[in-house]
Amino acid sequence: MKEKEAWEKARERYESAEIPEELSGVVSAALREGTRQQASRRAVRRGWGAALAACACFCLLVNVNPAFASAVAEVPVLGGLARIFTAERYQRRDRDHLIDVRLPALADTGNTDLEQRINLEIKKRIDDVLDEAEERARETREAYVETGGTEEEFIPIIIDVDYEVKCSDGRYLSFLIWKTETLASAYTELYAYNLDLTVGKELTLRDILGPDFQSRADAVIRSEMDRREREEGAVYFRADRDGDSFQGIGADQKFYLNDRGEPVVLFEKYEIAPGSMGIQEFTIPLSQ
Amino acid sequence: MRPPGRGKERTAVTDTGDKRQRLTEFIVAGQADFYRLAYSYVKDRDTALDVVQESIVKALSKSDTLREPAYVKTWFYRILINECMNWHRYRRRVLPMEELPESPGGSERDHEARLDLYDAIERLEEKERTIIRLRFFEDMKLEEIARITGTNLNTVKSRLYKSLKRLKEWTGEEETP
Repeated sequence: MKEKEAWEKARERYESAEIPEELSGVVSAALREGTRQQASRRAVRRGWGAALAACACFCLLVNVNPAFASAVAEVPVLGGLARIFTAERYQRRDRDHLIDVRLPALADTGNTDLEQRINLEIKKRIDDVLDEAEERARETREAYVETGGTEEEFIPIIIDVDYEVKCSDGRYLSFLIWKTETLASAYTELYAYNLDLTVGKELTLRDILGPDFQSRADAVIRSEMDRREREEGAVYFRADRDGDSFQGIGADQKFYLNDRGEPVVLFEKYEIAPGSMGIQEFTIPLSQ
Repeated sequence: MRPPGRGKERTAVTDTGDKRQRLTEFIVAGQADFYRLAYSYVKDRDTALDVVQESIVKALSKSDTLREPAYVKTWFYRILINECMNWHRYRRRVLPMEELPESPGGSERDHEARLDLYDAIERLEEKERTIIRLRFFEDMKLEEIARITGTNLNTVKSRLYKSLKRLKEWTGEEETP
């Protein structure tokens, strides 16, 4: 009798946790984000199938037909997909790690210097990231065991490295590489690459939006933040609320180009909003 | 809802769509439960929201690993609890020991004051606490708990009985006049 009451009381206490009003907003944003991530993975995979098939025919034609070979050399847009490919696929599943890496590299961009520099940078960046992560995994496990956890119960560190091509036309190539490390909450780090293949350089927001790129982007972002707060129950760090306000984009704010060639400015988790809002994206229209 | 008997005609594509639809419905319907469970682990509003958000993104982006749609509940809870435990482990790593709740055992047996049941549950080991919460606060079957925690049914049972016994000791039920 007494026991039953005690359980009811405990359950009441458990259920008394107040549900934050932004929960449903957080949930729908997460559903969108999850669906988007899954769709892009699938799209990339499908893309590879097509690209491989194209390659097969391509080799055949080049072999049998020298005229064709010289003709394709002049088609700059050929195979937007063929310019970026998975250079390395790496998996590791053991007691401390669940690592899954898909590392991209560039090819046939028509600009060997740029290509080599970017490929090297990507490789180096991801190698460093993995080294650090492994070191962290080891430290965490030791700390876990020292503080009384048993080795069998240790939850492995989960690292995912993947990429997504955002824009690939005759001129631009824009792609994101992200690394997600699940240690505490999952923390995602993003690397954005935006290349102008015609001039062989990496693009900045200034190149695309002009010298007043910061004020232009800030205006769009502020009004979009207002709209999202009003219509989607979004929450941002604002001066009037947390004293931790949006100060405008940085000179080297991350961005990518969407398939229309418009810059999409990225804010990492916690950068301008509570972690539960995830990564925030804002599309900045090109000049009116 | 699909009429039964049409199952065999489904293609792989509608299967995936169906699965995602089902997962989405499940998530929307259960969000308050997920939040409460996450909150019981992380004890912080923003962190709990964060954990729920991460779990949903992870679940949807990996929904192709959900083989059997009937297991959507245990599959999702498994992801959620993993996220919760990851936070827990992280706290353990970054916070000095004093800030953590005392580990159970020894000293408090001498305590005069009996613990409130809820507080006593907090003192259980993480694995035991998970079983208690799922069983008594989320009304799950032991089979479901076994699938969620990735342990076999007998282990779940023996952990459950052990925890109940400890709780009884700490709350001092037998001593009630």
